[in-house]
Amino acid sequence: MDAAGGNKKKRDRIGIVLYATYLCLLLASVLVVGRLIQIQVAFTPNPRIERVLTPSVTSTTIEARRGNIYDCEGRLLAISRPVYTLHMDCTVQKDRYASMSNGKELEQAWLAKAKELSAALAKEFPGKTADQYYRQISEGRRKGQKFLSICSGVDYNTYTRVMSFPLFNEGRFKGGVRVDKEYTRGYPYGDLARRTIGFVRSKNSTVGNTHVGIEGKFDETLKGKDGIEWLRVTDYGMAHNNDSIYVDASDGKDIRTTINIDYQDIADKALREQIETDDEIEGGCVILMEVGTGAIKAMVNLLRDPKTGKLEESQNLAVGRLGEPGSVFKITTLMTALEDSIVTSLDDVIPGNNGRIEGYRYETDQHILDYQREHHTKQIPIIYGVKISSNYVFRYLAIKNYENRPKEFLANLQKYKLTEAYDFDVDGMPRPSLPNPDSRYWHKSDLGQVAMGYSVTETPLHIITFYNAIANKGKMMKPYLVDGPQILNERICSKATADTLTRGLKAVTEDGTASRLRTAKVQVAGKTGTSRVVLDNGRYESADGRKKNQGTFVGFFPADDPQYSVITVVYSKLSYRNFYGSQYPAGTVKTIVDKLHDVDPHWRSTIGKTAQK
Amino acid sequence: MEEEVKGTFKLADLGSLLLNSFKAVLKGEFLLRLNASRYFIHIVYAFVLMAGIIWISLKIDDTTARVEQNKAVLEDLEIVCKQREFELVECCRRSTVEKNLIKMGSELRDRETPLTVMKK
Repeated sequence: MDAAGGNKKKRDRIGIVLYATYLCLLLASVLVVGRLIQIQVAFTPNPRIERVLTPSVTSTTIEARRGNIYDCEGRLLAISRPVYTLHMDCTVQKDRYASMSNGKELEQAWLAKAKELSAALAKEFPGKTADQYYRQISEGRRKGQKFLSICSGVDYNTYTRVMSFPLFNEGRFKGGVRVDKEYTRGYPYGDLARRTIGFVRSKNSTVGNTHVGIEGKFDETLKGKDGIEWLRVTDYGMAHNNDSIYVDASDGKDIRTTINIDYQDIADKALREQIETDDEIEGGCVILMEVGTGAIKAMVNLLRDPKTGKLEESQNLAVGRLGEPGSVFKITTLMTALEDSIVTSLDDVIPGNNGRIEGYRYETDQHILDYQREHHTKQIPIIYGVKISSNYVFRYLAIKNYENRPKEFLANLQKYKLTEAYDFDVDGMPRPSLPNPDSRYWHKSDLGQVAMGYSVTETPLHIITFYNAIANKGKMMKPYLVDGPQILNERICSKATADTLTRGLKAVTEDGTASRLRTAKVQVAGKTGTSRVVLDNGRYESADGRKKNQGTFVGFFPADDPQYSVITVVYSKLSYRNFYGSQYPAGTVKTIVDKLHDVDPHWRSTIGKTAQK
Repeated sequence: MEEEVKGTFKLADLGSLLLNSFKAVLKGEFLLRLNASRYFIHIVYAFVLMAGIIWISLKIDDTTARVEQNKAVLEDLEIVCKQREFELVECCRRSTVEKNLIKMGSELRDRETPLTVMKK
């Protein structure tokens, strides 16, 4: 009984302790549950505390990567990379130091570091001296300036260097440095093909033309689509918030162009060598095109900056500048005459008529008089007219055969695609203009003018497309920079006509107006052209006798197996001097042809087993 | 007949059920009265699972935060890569190479004849 009683007593004590513990825990759990219910139902927290303790969720934009632009061999032409803008909060730590017992020493130490920073900044950005930097920082600190601009638009290398400077290496909260990062477009080849590659200006730009070149035309393809992500603050830092929507960014696509940056460099350098030192040259352009496909391998656009006098890629002259083409247009007249069987061979002759066309007030063609005198003949071979670029010969061909049917003559220009602004991979191609025989402004002399490249305006791209078709035996390819080859006109002329024209164009470079190209490493077939630009007064000359010239050389090479066609147009400023297509433009083309002969795979020779096969 | 009486629900039954349950809770016998002792291991397992869920969600927070930090590191590396690529391409420009060769005093110049390719 004792034992039983003892056991019962012992059990009771343990039981009581356990029971008391249980009751405490039960009470605690009831309190916890009660508090939980109260918080959920009736508790209104202090807004300040709630704001601090509630994890904040912020929406961030996932920026889509803008696609790169590459040349035809996969070399990088345009890439997005960050640039940095650095500001400084001059007041950083100032209030804290003021409240500390050793604040004065700390302040002095801060200012000493600011002095070191100023010296380093002056070395990195020589626009200001170290003293000027230090004065700005120290005065800014005294006046409570929280925003002092240090530098803007610097690249990653500069940014990392600047961030290692004294004070800035202590970060935002001690050094006061603030960094804004922005992605901008970088062009590693600098000015090369700058206008062709183009750019996209900000929406806020005051300039109307915001989308330029390939960047502008293919902006939708390149830019991709931004995404959205919500981030929340956790004890470990910012983390993706799984409860919110997440839209992944869709990166922009890369674009591969037809440009060969080596050829672009060669063409750019060749044109600069010709015109850079002549201040009376306003600018010029070059287009190098692959004959079989119409792929543009190089497109140079140089325009002299009126202030600095430097040549810059600031306008796309090749695509966008209309001008009377002059003698290079004469080949359209000859093509029409050949196609209509008015001329059957370049050895055909026409009457010389002392270089004048009866019933028309054109100036006398002195070349014809010279030829008649030298050769004791009154008959002029067409090939001679092509070689020396006789105005008389081409006017004669047009007027004698199309005087009563000028529309038929002009309709051929439509067939040659010289009257329309077709779709091109770079915006800004204007529509060429030519006189309309039905218009009240039409004058009978217009036909003769068009025949020699006046009263009609064309862009360099239109002209080279036409010559490229001759090189391609009559098949006109659409010029392109990005999209694949397309045919503009399956046949603008017969193969026989193209061959005949090629013979004439070869004569021009052999012993005609472009004899400068006779010594080129590859035989070139082409045509020079010189025209005067209509001035603001509506005339070709200013009151004091000055004029603007547009000199052109257009052709293709090798003449017998054309691989490339090329055009160079040089524009002069208002000048007393004359500038001809046989000078700078032909000189530029010769340099390009010689260089391409040395580097292009077409001219490579192969030795060994494969070659023997 | 007895079964019908047993199955009839009265409001007073609910009251006595709640009272009995409360007393059982006070006595610490609630789960025993429910005869849940045989499910003890399951109850413990449920607690372990709950603790596990809390621990895993904390680890997920840690991991996602590290993902964000690594994203920033990757972005920095990408920037460095782009910068290097940019500088490399800048140096490869044909005319830049020519200029640098002259600057360095090299006699190497651009070739003046086309390449001859040797094939086996």
